[in-house]
Amino acid sequence: MHRDEIPPGTLYLLILKTLGRSGEMHGYEIANSIQRISDDVLQVEEGSLYPALQRMLIKGWVTAKWGTTAGNRRARYYQLTAAGRKQLAVEMSQFERVIGAITRVIEAV
Amino acid sequence: MNWLREVARRLRMLVHRSQFDADLEEEMHLHLELRQQEHFESGMTADSARAAARRRFGNATYLKEESRIAWGWEWFENLAQDVRYGARILRKSPGFTAVAILTLALGIGANTAIFSVINGVLLSPLPYKNPKQLVVIKEHDSLPNVIDIQRQTRSFSQGGGINVEKMDYIGATEPVQVRVGLVNAGFLETLGVQPVLGRIISPAEDVQGGPHLAMVSNHFWQDYLGSDPHAVGYTIQLGGNSYTVIGVMPASFAPPAEHADVFVSLIVRDPGAGAERDLHFLHTYWRLKEGVTLAQAQADMAAIDRRLAEQYPAEEKERKSQLVPLHEWLVGDVRSALLVLFGAVGLVLLIACANFASLLMMRAVAERRELVIRAALGAGRGRLIRKTLTESALLSVLGGAAGLLFAKLGTSMLLTLRPEELARLSGIHMDTRVLLFVFVVSVLTGIVFGMAPAWIAARADVAEALKESGRSTTASTMGHSIRRILVTSELAVALVLLVGAGLLIKGFSRLSSINPGFNSANVMTMYLQLPKTRYGEIPKQTQFRRELLTRLNSLPGVQAAMVTDIPLGGNYVGHRFVIAGRPPVAVGGEPKVQTLSVMGDYFHVMQIPLRAGRDFTPLDREGQPLAAIVNEEMVREFFPHENPIGMRIRWAGDTGPPQWMTVIGVAGDVKHSGLNQPTDPAVYTPFSQNDEAWRRFMMLAIRARDVSPGLVEEVKKQIWSLDGQIPVSDVYAMDELIAVSLAQQRFNMLLLGLFAALALILAAVGIYGAMAYAVNQRTHEIGIRTALGAQRRDVLRLVMRDGAKIALFGIASGIAGALALTRLMASLLFEVKPTDPATFAGVAILLALVALAACYIPARRAMRVDPMVALRYE
Repeated sequence: MHRDEIPPGTLYLLILKTLGRSGEMHGYEIANSIQRISDDVLQVEEGSLYPALQRMLIKGWVTAKWGTTAGNRRARYYQLTAAGRKQLAVEMSQFERVIGAITRVIEAV
Repeated sequence: MNWLREVARRLRMLVHRSQFDADLEEEMHLHLELRQQEHFESGMTADSARAAARRRFGNATYLKEESRIAWGWEWFENLAQDVRYGARILRKSPGFTAVAILTLALGIGANTAIFSVINGVLLSPLPYKNPKQLVVIKEHDSLPNVIDIQRQTRSFSQGGGINVEKMDYIGATEPVQVRVGLVNAGFLETLGVQPVLGRIISPAEDVQGGPHLAMVSNHFWQDYLGSDPHAVGYTIQLGGNSYTVIGVMPASFAPPAEHADVFVSLIVRDPGAGAERDLHFLHTYWRLKEGVTLAQAQADMAAIDRRLAEQYPAEEKERKSQLVPLHEWLVGDVRSALLVLFGAVGLVLLIACANFASLLMMRAVAERRELVIRAALGAGRGRLIRKTLTESALLSVLGGAAGLLFAKLGTSMLLTLRPEELARLSGIHMDTRVLLFVFVVSVLTGIVFGMAPAWIAARADVAEALKESGRSTTASTMGHSIRRILVTSELAVALVLLVGAGLLIKGFSRLSSINPGFNSANVMTMYLQLPKTRYGEIPKQTQFRRELLTRLNSLPGVQAAMVTDIPLGGNYVGHRFVIAGRPPVAVGGEPKVQTLSVMGDYFHVMQIPLRAGRDFTPLDREGQPLAAIVNEEMVREFFPHENPIGMRIRWAGDTGPPQWMTVIGVAGDVKHSGLNQPTDPAVYTPFSQNDEAWRRFMMLAIRARDVSPGLVEEVKKQIWSLDGQIPVSDVYAMDELIAVSLAQQRFNMLLLGLFAALALILAAVGIYGAMAYAVNQRTHEIGIRTALGAQRRDVLRLVMRDGAKIALFGIASGIAGALALTRLMASLLFEVKPTDPATFAGVAILLALVALAACYIPARRAMRVDPMVALRYE
């Protein structure tokens, strides 16, 4: 099956949105969630989630704490902060503006 | 606020770095495992499931690195790594490390010690309120003049004078003499001192017939008043008068140049002072008004001087008051010496740095293969330079730390050696400014002098370096020639320092071999002052003096005499005088001579030779014709073509009938004000014919076979058997006074000598290192030469010629440098030209010998090279 690379710069948005929808998640769950919801179209190079998550930790958009998975394994769970929610809104509107513009360009006769 | 929290998060990450790694590792591991599990469950084999999981994950190592870098601590980690690595390397070669650190520590230590002195003396502000506004008038002045200046000035907000007089203080266990600062009300106010207890005297109290009030220094309060917090109101007995204590000064306070234990009003203690315009004995301090410049104040002062001269032509005709900023006046004498020493010690540091750089370079060449391998494995050029620099900075910081220890020793040594001029400025210690100085100097040293080796390292050409066998590549020959330049400059700088030290030593030996005009051996001196209450009249003074000398001279083996001011004792009285039969000179324009009164066989006791005429005898006494003995300088200046014996002179400004004195003898010149000072014309008169009742003081001069503390006690016993309330002070051996007068020159000479010795040692180590290294590098070549029949002598010549060339270049450029630089120290030299050829030649030969000796050791090693071993070495 063909999978598309995610557009550059949207990784934060995807993570923020995913976390915003489902509360706490660990990295593997985030990767799976993005893939599943995009009907397997969006393919993240899964490892690159982790540097991104670190940057988001620095920015204070997410917090992390260790918990236990259903399979009783130790995992680090990420959760959105208030700053993260605000950032999500910012990124959403930015994204929509860009997509809207691109759409208009493509659909122009 | 957000960025603050972000910084906090980053810092937390830095502290928990290892936890961070473990967490990331675990997190990624879980991810991979879960993915692998998923693939496995969908039917893949275990192996392909793992491979697929890895593929989807990406390069885990790279991603971990990315995650770490995100936190921004990469530079720190690299630095920490470099430092750790550097420390390991340094531990592994303790010899190199010790030599490098010691070299730098000597240079930095010596610099820090001198810098702490400069910091304390030249850079720190004086401990007074707004010290920049304070000025002094160089010339002493009288109270009426000070009052007039205060009234007329438009530039000074405050001003006041002080003269310190010793007075006996009754109230301690035995009669002691304390130093009483006779001041006017403006003095303490000008310096802006706030008493810790009580108050200072007000202008209303500082008047003729005012109350007897005393302000005591903190140490007087501690020593004699038991630090009593209720000391204000106490009555103390000073010089036969009762004074009420009204204030206690803070411990930090001392007059700028005087030592005083108590301060009292001059005019209260001596009501006549208000009228004595021509008695210039007050040293005065003034505070400039806000915004007034020194030049404006000087112009204002000149106008006041002119007015005073017109108004009082008899006393003030030659007034010329020079204003000097207080700080400049205090450090004037030491300033040039300290700056020369600082320059010298800077040169020592330069040599130390050159040695340091040369050591590093030697290492860089030796380590090149390692660096090249690192480069081949992908280390960036910047990273390699950073690694080398870290190593040298590490060394130099360690050197700086060790240097602080040397500096601590050095500073305490300086303080024991310090001349009087430094002693009065107490702020010599290591403060933050000094520590900062050391830190900056050592880090800069490491970086600047680590640059060359780092550069060599960075030029590493991988392919070539891996091919070579450790010799004769471009980089190492370049390193070699840089090292030769370094060693040459070391020798040059060392020569400059040696010349400087040599000149000072020569000047000092000239100075200390100067004949002071008397024989200081076995002579001691002490100061006595007769209380005014019981010895106000001259006959009583004379009686006491005569009786005391009779008693002292009856002690076995003792010859005693007395004089108003002992040579090198720091006191000086001058009078104007008139010669009989010469055309009259305008009043106030008469020539001035030093004036001394003596009693007993003064010239005999001091062994001052009599050049002509006769000595005083007991018959030259009160009621007899007035007699005077003049010194040779007086004859040279005033009687160049006549026989002075029988000439008559009198003091100018005498009221009443003229008191003519007849010159009866000529005494040899005496260095009164210092060995390097010219001798003034001087007139000696008998104490008993003295008509100045205020001269109640005297210095005993006692020659004895054995000058011991026992003798001092015996003399004191004799004094107190005559009058038990006469304090004795300033007990010195004349030899001590001579030593004190040489202290500044000795200080300069010892320090510069020490620096030059340091420079010599460092330069010798430098040239030794360079030659040893060169011989080591040429072992192969020497082996071949020997195998081809070169004699040991030829090998010796080969190596020595190399060393001699370096030494010659170094010495030649050093001489050029010294010729340019020694001019700066001309003011420190006594009767030696800064270009003294003998010193230059001697020093050049010394340096050449040391350099050749340093080359000889590696040269001998070269002679013993076994050709077989050298050739097998390949």
